[in-house]
Amino acid sequence: MSALRRELEDNARKVFPDWQAAQDAEGSWAQMAELGWFMAGVPEALGGLGLERRDLAVIFTEMGRARMPGPALAQFLALEALVQAPDVPGREELLENAMAGAAITTSLTIAGDGLSAVPDADTASQILVRSADEVALVGLAGAKITPFPTWDGSRRLFSVEPAPDAPRIPLAAGAEAAALTERLDGLLCLGLAGDALGGAEAVLAMAIEYLGTRRQFDRPLAMFQALKHRAADLKVALETATALYEASSEAAPLALGAMKAHCCEVYKQVAEEAVQFHGGIGLTVEYPVHLFLKRAFLNRTLGGSAAFWNESAGDAVLERTSAG
Amino acid sequence: MTQEDDALRREIRDWIAREAPRDWRTASTHEAFVASQRSWFAKLVGAGYAVPHWPREWPGGGRSLAEQKIIYEELARADTPRLLLSFVSTYHAFATLAECASAQQRSHYLPRILEGETWCQGFSEPGAGSDLAAIRSRAERRGDVYVVSGQKVWSTMAQYADMCLLLVRTSADGPKQAGLTYLLMDMRLPGVSVRPIHQIQGDEEFAEIFLDEVEIPVSQRVGEEGAGWAVAQATLASERGLTLMELSYRMRGAMLRLSEAVHAAGRTCDAGVLRKLGALATRVDAVCALADRFLQKRMDEDERVGDASIVKLAYSRCLRAWTNLGVELADLAGQMHAPITFGDLNSGNWMADFMNSYAWTIAGGSDEVQRNIIAERMLGMPREPKNWITEARP
Ligand SMILES: Cc1cc2nc3c(=O)[nH]c(=O)nc-3n(C[C@H](O)[C@H](O)[C@H](O)COP(=O)(O)OP(=O)(O)OC[C@H]3O[C@@H](n4cnc5c(N)ncnc54)[C@H](O)[C@@H]3O)c2cc1C
Repeated sequence: MSALRRELEDNARKVFPDWQAAQDAEGSWAQMAELGWFMAGVPEALGGLGLERRDLAVIFTEMGRARMPGPALAQFLALEALVQAPDVPGREELLENAMAGAAITTSLTIAGDGLSAVPDADTASQILVRSADEVALVGLAGAKITPFPTWDGSRRLFSVEPAPDAPRIPLAAGAEAAALTERLDGLLCLGLAGDALGGAEAVLAMAIEYLGTRRQFDRPLAMFQALKHRAADLKVALETATALYEASSEAAPLALGAMKAHCCEVYKQVAEEAVQFHGGIGLTVEYPVHLFLKRAFLNRTLGGSAAFWNESAGDAVLERTSAG
Repeated sequence: MTQEDDALRREIRDWIAREAPRDWRTASTHEAFVASQRSWFAKLVGAGYAVPHWPREWPGGGRSLAEQKIIYEELARADTPRLLLSFVSTYHAFATLAECASAQQRSHYLPRILEGETWCQGFSEPGAGSDLAAIRSRAERRGDVYVVSGQKVWSTMAQYADMCLLLVRTSADGPKQAGLTYLLMDMRLPGVSVRPIHQIQGDEEFAEIFLDEVEIPVSQRVGEEGAGWAVAQATLASERGLTLMELSYRMRGAMLRLSEAVHAAGRTCDAGVLRKLGALATRVDAVCALADRFLQKRMDEDERVGDASIVKLAYSRCLRAWTNLGVELADLAGQMHAPITFGDLNSGNWMADFMNSYAWTIAGGSDEVQRNIIAERMLGMPREPKNWITEARP
C-alpha cells in the first residue's frame, strides 16, 4: 500500500476508530468533510486533492468498516459527475459547495433501475439523475419523496419522483451521457464493494474476538476446530476479494460490477457466519453483529444484483473466447 | 512496468513462439510425457528461463521477482507445458541445497540439476502424512554410512528420479521432530525400489519408495544429525508463491475450456449457466489478483505468517470449483472415459481435471492443515491442547 493510502487509512481510523464512532449521521458527515474526503477525487485544478480511484477505494473501505450512515456514496457520485462535466455553467460553485459538504444525492441503483434507493432525499436539495440519455442535477423542491424503510438502518433510503417542472442542470447528453453513466455506475460498484469489504473485515474481527472470549465446555469456543476452519475460510474469501478489489479500481464498468457482486457475496457470507458464531446473543438487538448482516444484504442488492452482473460477466467470457 | 520489463516480456514471447512445444497435450504414454518434459526443460535451461529464481552465478539465475513473474506469466499465457518432472529439483532440492547444504554438496548437485538430473521428495510415509514429524523410516549410523530401512509414499515422479530428498528418523528419544535427519539419497543405490502408484484419473504421478538396508554415506547428510526437521521446512517453503501464480494464470487462460463446454452443451443463452460462468470467472480473477498481491508482498518483504496458506487455499478451492463447473456443463459427455493429458490441471477433460484437483487440496499441506495455520497463526485462535494421547492411554 502506498504511503498516501496508508495515511488515508490512518486518518480515517483516528476519526472513526470503530463503527460506533460514526453512527451520529450529522457529526460523521462533518467529520468526513473535514477529513477532505469530498475533495479527494476532485482534480487539484478544481480545488480538490486530485487523488486517484484506488485512493478513493481506501475511503470506501473505511466507510464500510465504520458502517457509515448518510449519503456519502451518493455524494462521491455527484462529485465525479461534476468533475466529468466541464462546460456546465456554475460548476465551480457547485463543486466548491459539494466539496464542503453540501449534500447532493443520487440513487444507489444502477442507471437503468430508476430512482428507487435514494439516500437522504428528504434533506438534500438536489438529486443527480443518471440515464443513458441524460445526466443532470435536478432540484428536489416539490418532488414526490417516499420513504423506503429498509432492514438496514444505517442508510435512510427513499424513492423519488422529481417534480415535472423542477430546475434542471444538464451535465451530459447523448453519447457523453451514456459514457458518464457507465462511469458512475462503475464508481457506485467500487464504492459498494469497498463498503462490503470494510464491513466484512469489521464483523469478522468482532466474531473472532467473541469466539476467543466466550467459553463453553471448559475452553474458549475459538479452540474448536469446527469453528476455526470456518473462520479461516472466511478469512481466505475476504483476502481474495480484497486482492481483486485493490486490483480493479480502474477496471472497466462490467468488471467493476462483477467485482462488486463477488465482494458483496463475501460480505454476506462473513456476516451470515458471524451471527451464527455468536449464538443467541447474535440475535439480540443490542448486540451489534446484526447491523452488519443487514447492511451486507442491502449492499448486495444495490448497484445491480449479483444475478445481473454475473450473467453479464458470463456473457463477456463467451464473447472474449469466440472473438479470440 | 519498466521498459526492461517490457523488453523481457517481448523477448520471452518471441522465444516461446519459436521454441515452445505444441504437441505436448497429445503425449499418450508416460515415456512420451517424460521425453517431452526433458526436452522442454533443456530448452528452457539453454535460453535462461528455467531457473530465474536461482542466484546470479547460475545461467538464467539472478532475476528479480518481478522478472520471474513475467517469465511465468508468459509461459502460462502461451499454454506451455508445466515443468512437472523438474519441479522438485529446481525448487525443493535447490532451496534445500542453497539454504542448508554444504558448499561441496551445492557445487556437486546444482550443475547436475541444470543438466537434467531429476529429484523427488521422500517425506511422507504410510503413518506420517499431515503429521509429518511422525516419520518412522529408520536410519542407523554404522561408521561412514547410514543404513536406512522403511517406506516412503506419494513421492511425486519418484519413478523417474535420480536423487531423493529423504527425511528419516535417527532417534526415537525426545520430541518427535528432534529425532529426524535429512539425507540426499541416490535412487540407484542397492536396496532402493520404487513402485508407481496408479491414480484415480489414470495417471501415475507419484510412487512408493521402499528402502531396505540402503547404505547412504554420512557425507550425504544435510545439516546435523537430528536437525532434519528444520531442513525439511526449507524444502517445504520453496514451492509457494510463483508456483501458485503460474497455476492461477493457467486457470484463467483455461476459462476458454469452460466457454467451449458452454457452447458444446448448447447453453450459451442459459442465464443460470451464464451466472455461474461469470461468477467463477470473477473468482478466478480474484485468485490471480491474490497471487499477484502475495508476490508483491514478498518483494516488499511484507509477508505475514499464513499469507502463503491463504493463497494455496484460495487456489485449491477455486480449482475444485472450476473443474466442478466443467463436469456439470459437460453432463453425460463428461463421463465418457477419455485419455488424459499428462501434467495438465486444466485440460477440459473434466472428470480427469476434477480428480486431479485433489492434488492441490491434499498435497503440500492439505486444505484442513492450511485452515489450522490461518486460524491459529494468523487469526490468533488458540491451539487445541496436545494431551489426547495421555488422556486416552489406559
Ligand atoms: C498429488 C500429490 C503429490 C504428493 N507429492 C509428495 C511428494 O512428492 N513427496 C512427499 O513426501 N509427499 C507427497 N505427497 C503427500 C502429501 O504431502 C500428503 O498426502 C499430505 O501431507 C496429507 O497426508 P495424508 O495423505 O497422509 O493424509 P492425512 O494426513 O491422513 O489426512 C487425511 C484427512 O484428514 C485431514 N487432517 C489431517 N490432519 C488434520 C488436522 N490436524 N485437522 C483437521 N484435519 C486434518 C486431512 O486434511 C485429510 O483431509 C503428495 C500428495 C499428493 C496428493
